[in-house]
Amino acid sequence: MAGLQTIVNKCGGLTINRRKVVGLQVTRNEIPRVTVTPTTQPWKMTLDMPSSLRYYDNRDLLEALDTMDRVQPEVISFSDNACINWIFKYQGDLSAGQIAGMRVQSFVGNQLILNSLPVVPASRIIFKPNDLIQIGTNPYPFTSTTTVTRGTGSTVTVTTNRPNIISTSVVNEGITVGNDCEFNMFCPNMPTYKLIPGGYVGSNGTTLNNALIEFSDSFELYEYVATA
Amino acid sequence: MEIIPEVIDAPEITTGQFVKLTVYNSYDDTVAGNFTIGQTYKIEDVGNTNWTSIGADSNNSGVIFVATGAGSGNGTAANVTFLTFSDSYTEQTLPQYIGNTIVANYSYNPFGGLLTVGAQNRELRVTSGDTSIAISGISGNNMSVILGTEGLIRGSELEIIRGFYNANMILTNNYTRFTGIITNYQITEERDGLEDNFTITLSASSYKTVLENRIAGRKTNKESWQFFSTTDSAMNNVNSIAGVSFDFGADPKTKIQPGYGGGGTPGGGGGGGGGGRPNDRFNEDDR
Repeated sequence: MAGLQTIVNKCGGLTINRRKVVGLQVTRNEIPRVTVTPTTQPWKMTLDMPSSLRYYDNRDLLEALDTMDRVQPEVISFSDNACINWIFKYQGDLSAGQIAGMRVQSFVGNQLILNSLPVVPASRIIFKPNDLIQIGTNPYPFTSTTTVTRGTGSTVTVTTNRPNIISTSVVNEGITVGNDCEFNMFCPNMPTYKLIPGGYVGSNGTTLNNALIEFSDSFELYEYVATA
Repeated sequence: MEIIPEVIDAPEITTGQFVKLTVYNSYDDTVAGNFTIGQTYKIEDVGNTNWTSIGADSNNSGVIFVATGAGSGNGTAANVTFLTFSDSYTEQTLPQYIGNTIVANYSYNPFGGLLTVGAQNRELRVTSGDTSIAISGISGNNMSVILGTEGLIRGSELEIIRGFYNANMILTNNYTRFTGIITNYQITEERDGLEDNFTITLSASSYKTVLENRIAGRKTNKESWQFFSTTDSAMNNVNSIAGVSFDFGADPKTKIQPGYGGGGTPGGGGGGGGGGRPNDRFNEDDR
């Protein structure tokens, strides 16, 4: 069983943290001066779990979490649950086929240039701010920070929320967007769980005690950036 | 008249720190012809060796390269372990300058937030200063890099460079912040419940501090004297005057001793030492 994916699917609240590492000062003329550390800006998500999971229905989940512990990453997505697939839904005007046809011309810094654009009116929107983008089978999804329209040129430039941290060449690779994107996450704090006796469950003709699972804390997922 | 401009431009600045660490594996340089393929060397004496033919970016002293051949000629290079890392988000290549000329390019491994660089003073005049770099969250394999040097890490050359990024997160400029020598290393292991973190901290002194603390000259004993010249016997008998007080520069007359002034007696004044050699006016201990 996929432990973190199950947690995502059943979570009762999601906090997304993409803040940069900065040093902030205000000058004497009261202008803020910010020093930014160029990190990989990993995704950080905090998942609040409801305390309504029943022990006997979720023993496989607990085993998956214990096996994963705080060290193993897992690929999660927001596409396989109707309750949460609206979070990263693609906002642009292109069809899935048109998106699949586009190719990466270059990705330097936070400037992603796409070519092989579809033949659509210039005003068609390719990306809106916060649209998720992922390159080929590489991990590390990122978002568009601006609205990008088709225009009339042979390429479009997308300004992304974080620079390219993929160490291999991405030229001519395709892209995926929205819910099709996947996150490679691990859980550095991996909460422990407490069993609160309550209820019964039938098993092979006998009745056994059941329990509710109460996790000690929220699940703080952190993007696993193995090599940058 | 120039006025100091108001702070109104670019409110945000993105900088990264790049660390270059050169660990010397041997006290002796290797002469061309004896290089081991795959080993890293730092050119010390260019000589007439063609360094670019064996892996170096250029034929300049100070260039570090991985040998692709044994080499030839009379140039020499130091056997080194070369470590380059940064707190940047990705691998970056920075040039090495001699004057305004780029003599080599080195790739820096990204450690992100696991690398911490201590405070440094930067002034117009040459100032002494110490700093430190800390690498945390490392694995035991990386610790072995430090431990495996068996103390050679002390005396290693450390250079810290600050790189500046533009708004598109592209590295545009870099400047050297600190150059010095590693004076100490410390490995800290923090166990807190089920969490175990390792941190390696390297302390470094600037070259000025190193020069200030340098002990120069020779000791006045036979071993130190003959370290530089094995036939120098000037200090062979120096042990015989151990513990004797000297009064260099004092009036020589006050040091005339009976028996050394040419036959005079303490009571008779000796007549000025008429039979003595000029040097006899000195007590033997004064030599």
